[in-house]
Amino acid sequence: MTSKYRLIWQLMEGERLRYSAAILSLVIASCFLYLVPLVPTVVLDGVIAVNPATSGLTTRVMEMAGGRDFLRSNLWLAVLATVAFTAIAGIFTYLRGRLAGIASESIARRVREKLYDQLQHLPCSFYDRSQTGDLVQRCTSDVETLRMFLIDQVVEIGRAALMLLIPLPLMFAVDARMAGISLILIPPITAFSIVFFNRVRSRFEAVDQAEGRMSSTLQENLTGIRVVRAFARQKYEIEKFDSRNAEHRNLHYALYRLLAAFWSASDLMCITQIAIVVCSGGWWLATGSLAIGSFMFFLMVVNMFLWPVRMMGRILTELGKATVAIGRIHDILGHPRESKPAEESQTPLDESVQGEIVFRDVTFSHRAGEAAIANASFRVPAGQTLALLGSSGSGKSTIVNLLLRFYDPENGAIEIDGVDIGRMDRKDVRRQISVVMQEPFLFSKTLRENIVLGHAAAPHNEVTEATSAACIHETIVEFEKGYETLVGERGITLSGGQRQRVALARALLKQPPILVLDDALSAVDTETEIMILDALRQRRGRHTTIVIAHRLSTLMDADEVLVLDRGRIVQRGSHETLRNEQGMYRRIMSIQNDLEEQLRQDLSSVAGA
Amino acid sequence: MTSYHDDEDHVVRRLDVSLWRRMLEHSRPYRKQLAGLCLAGMTIAFCDVSLPRITGFVIDDAIATGGNNLSFYGAQYGAAVLLLSSLVYLLIVLAGSAVTGVAYDLRRKAFARLQELSFAFYDQRPVGWLMARLTSDCDRISAVLPWTLLDAIWGGFLVSGITLMMLWMNWKLALVVLSIVPPLSIATVIYQRKLIRTQRLARKTNSKITAGFNEGIAGVRTTKAFVREEENLREFQVLTAEMCGYSVRSAIYAAIYLPVIMTFGATGVGLALWRGGLISGLGFPIGDLVAFMQYAAIFHIPIQEMAERFTGLQSAQASAERLQALLDTAPTIVDSDEVRCGVLLQRRWPRPDLASDGKAHGIREIRFENVDFAYQGSSRILCDFNLTIHAGESIALVGETGSGKSTVARLVCRFYEPTGGRILLDGVDYRERSLEWLQSNLGIVLQEPHLFSGTIRENIRYGRLQASDAEIESVAQQVGAAAFISQLPKGYDTEVGESGNRLSTGQKQFVSLARALLADPQILVLDEATSSLDTETERRIQSGVETLLRGRISIIIAHRLSTIRSADRIVVISRGRIVEEGSHRDLLALGGQYATLYSLQFRREAESVAVQTASEPEQFQVRNTRA
Repeated sequence: MTSKYRLIWQLMEGERLRYSAAILSLVIASCFLYLVPLVPTVVLDGVIAVNPATSGLTTRVMEMAGGRDFLRSNLWLAVLATVAFTAIAGIFTYLRGRLAGIASESIARRVREKLYDQLQHLPCSFYDRSQTGDLVQRCTSDVETLRMFLIDQVVEIGRAALMLLIPLPLMFAVDARMAGISLILIPPITAFSIVFFNRVRSRFEAVDQAEGRMSSTLQENLTGIRVVRAFARQKYEIEKFDSRNAEHRNLHYALYRLLAAFWSASDLMCITQIAIVVCSGGWWLATGSLAIGSFMFFLMVVNMFLWPVRMMGRILTELGKATVAIGRIHDILGHPRESKPAEESQTPLDESVQGEIVFRDVTFSHRAGEAAIANASFRVPAGQTLALLGSSGSGKSTIVNLLLRFYDPENGAIEIDGVDIGRMDRKDVRRQISVVMQEPFLFSKTLRENIVLGHAAAPHNEVTEATSAACIHETIVEFEKGYETLVGERGITLSGGQRQRVALARALLKQPPILVLDDALSAVDTETEIMILDALRQRRGRHTTIVIAHRLSTLMDADEVLVLDRGRIVQRGSHETLRNEQGMYRRIMSIQNDLEEQLRQDLSSVAGA
Repeated sequence: MTSYHDDEDHVVRRLDVSLWRRMLEHSRPYRKQLAGLCLAGMTIAFCDVSLPRITGFVIDDAIATGGNNLSFYGAQYGAAVLLLSSLVYLLIVLAGSAVTGVAYDLRRKAFARLQELSFAFYDQRPVGWLMARLTSDCDRISAVLPWTLLDAIWGGFLVSGITLMMLWMNWKLALVVLSIVPPLSIATVIYQRKLIRTQRLARKTNSKITAGFNEGIAGVRTTKAFVREEENLREFQVLTAEMCGYSVRSAIYAAIYLPVIMTFGATGVGLALWRGGLISGLGFPIGDLVAFMQYAAIFHIPIQEMAERFTGLQSAQASAERLQALLDTAPTIVDSDEVRCGVLLQRRWPRPDLASDGKAHGIREIRFENVDFAYQGSSRILCDFNLTIHAGESIALVGETGSGKSTVARLVCRFYEPTGGRILLDGVDYRERSLEWLQSNLGIVLQEPHLFSGTIRENIRYGRLQASDAEIESVAQQVGAAAFISQLPKGYDTEVGESGNRLSTGQKQFVSLARALLADPQILVLDEATSSLDTETERRIQSGVETLLRGRISIIIAHRLSTIRSADRIVVISRGRIVEEGSHRDLLALGGQYATLYSLQFRREAESVAVQTASEPEQFQVRNTRA
């Protein structure tokens, strides 16, 4: 709990002065606002009354303002005073609004930026455990709740308290009996409001949940519309949605009834409070123990503080929501970032990295007891190609993730050019590597912006060279806007193979010492794949390359092949050595050969028939 | 698709009266509530006008008679208090009933419409866009109507009531006090206009920020791999700065507006005090002066409220337009009048040997006759396409991505209709049959099976709603789904989660097979998955599929070697035309496109099967390598 408030305090840094000024403005504005009812009090009791009061607050004020006769002949001063007090209160209200607005919007902005920055630096293990939807929710609606809390509630709570506290001395100075009478229902109104909103919180939540159920039914219907049509289940679906829709309506309506009860009861109490003031004021007025001006004063003051008091319960409920939201934001901001080696132990990389990769006895597991990769050791000399072969779950991708330092090994070390990457800045490691994943992510920017992601200053001829090697240049040029075509929801949708080729171009353009292809051509059609492999063959020696595939044809060119099975390297060697060795590689080859043979038989038997 | 994003931002300048009249039509069932609301608004305005007046009487009475009639006025006050609070209760309940009722009706209508609209409509609109129409748009429209009506009535009556009352009490003083109304109104209009503009800009930026977060999170590995953290943050900061600018601007507008309004109000009070003070005692009772000052103090409130509601109406107009457009969209694929007639006749005088539209039930043949097809706004996908499929026959459609094979399947399902030519069921154009009949005789198994949240049992029952538990378990047994279901702790009553995501893809596939078998369709369309499941599961699913295909007209968008080989007929499609057709052996013998596809494209499958198989226990390997 305290850590949440500490978080708010930290986030307020740089804006604390502004906030304090806003609160000060609020105090000043409230003071002046309560001076306004004094004007008619003085005018009515002191200036135009037939039997003016001779002592008390009004007389003192009147004397200060130049005496009864002066005021009587210059009654316009009353307008001036009313307007002036309100205007001064207005200026400070403006200052309050402006300062609090700037302060809280700046804080909201900083929170958004902090969250964004934090999200980019959280370790991949964090993302394995989180859902995108939930994270986005925290970054948007929870930040919005926090913002509303900062701009409205902090100030409103202050305002409610001030509106009640500031007039107290004035009220008692004007008339102690009336002051007491004016406050008589305030405690029950406040208590009622607080208790009520605490009680109905669960009802609000119930409505939210019903709405959630309704929209997920809707979403399922829309995403599964083909299934609905295929079974001609429209009527069933309409009934199903109707029951959710009706449930939401009923709960929502029940909430309205509750709120109606609250507002009418609270209205009843508030207007009763005013009626009490009017009637007892009238009574004392009639008995001559209360002046008409003081009566007027209380009438105005009561109206001023009743509203904030009624809102108290509402504000406190919102406060509860805000603490929950802050907690959820804190979960993200408080999570440790990807570790960085201490400055002094950090080993800077040579300017010209050669790209030699060494794994020494590396072990890593996502879950305790299940090693994703165990005791892996291998060396890839600079400029050579290593192929990883194995079924899904054999540990191929783990090797890539470890090399990119998305995860850190539990045991052993990984070296680039003889330097332990654990002692390098993660970003320095990643700058040396280009990776193409099986399902590459493209940003919703133009194709060019996506391709120059790793090398923003690349001249156009280098871009086209990369796209040509990835066999995507022709496709891009055929688009209406060519390289300036937007990708994603607002632009075109690329097929899986096209995405993979764009990602390959992006990786090649970066011209890294190390290139990783993680099943990167799985969605590319066969003929294009052959062309791309040809282009890559021509670039041999430019990068140290790691290729992951589950097809032998893509591995033929590798200098060395590692065969992986359940996190262990079971075989290694060149294609030539492995094919002559007893083991999994031979098994794979023989199964493939069998299939090939079968294919040939199929073709020839038919041809012969 | 761009247009569906841009219209979110389009600027509403004028109030579209005819549109809002149509929106009011939707609230017709709640006209009693709305009438009650208007009545309550009027009465409240009446109370609001009388209370200051009663206060004035109390004062005058106290001064003049020493409070003789105080209990009388007290009683009046008490009555007003009771009336007001019961009216407040009433109006919130009435408004609540109208708000929730209209929202419910709009959602119901829109949902029913969505169930009728053709796939061409869905193709152009993302699910999220459609969701927003039925959630936030419905909320905004339903909330804006009753409250605006109430405030218009209440505000209008209050403003005119106060004005009349003041004029009646003392018209000269009233005119002095009312002099603040024009500047007050102008300030309000200027403020609301500025506010609506910045709010729109802020909303637009806000959705960009959400998209930014979304992309930042979804693409985090790419960002890390390309060391883009700083650039991304810099780009994001442009958005947050923009957002902060707009929000501060609207905060400042509010900060200026509020004091200005307060000052105008105070000027009114001051003027009343000054001019009223001058004439007080000269036939102008002091109680009237107090009432005047109270009127002056509350005068700005209804003006402010009405202006806010008007702005609300303007910003809800875009929502209303989009929703009305959705409701007005006519489904392009519907039963013709004759078909509807047939359905009615069959319903009135049912003949059990006929289908629900009064025509023959069985389908012995589907024939594509010179069919052309193009998706809206795209070039032609199918071109003079001719194909006949007989009952009990399975057809494998083979071809590259974009060749048109999925389109053939969609046309059979009548998700789309041919743009040229005809599709005949036993010689009758399927547009002369009822859509409902065709689609309830259809089974579809999709590449990515879609399940609904609920239990496994409920999902299978979706195939035939009246099916008994025993029938459900029997179909599950037949397709081979029973094995995995019985291993789950809750068996058939296991919750599958949202979109079935608590099950693996293979398990979802089994459930969807059982569901299709339960429906017992005459026509089966199967979009075969390319995704590599593990070999053992794939093999078991394959046998489930074979169970399902038996004895039906089956159209398979085929990817797997085994399916293609076991189909009765293979149709090779290229660029929207049938290029080769025949059995596996015939086509291989032809040595044409099929042979190339088979040896190239399908070699890949063989290869990945090999890697998977090699790491599996020995006993499975032998089986798989056999033909």
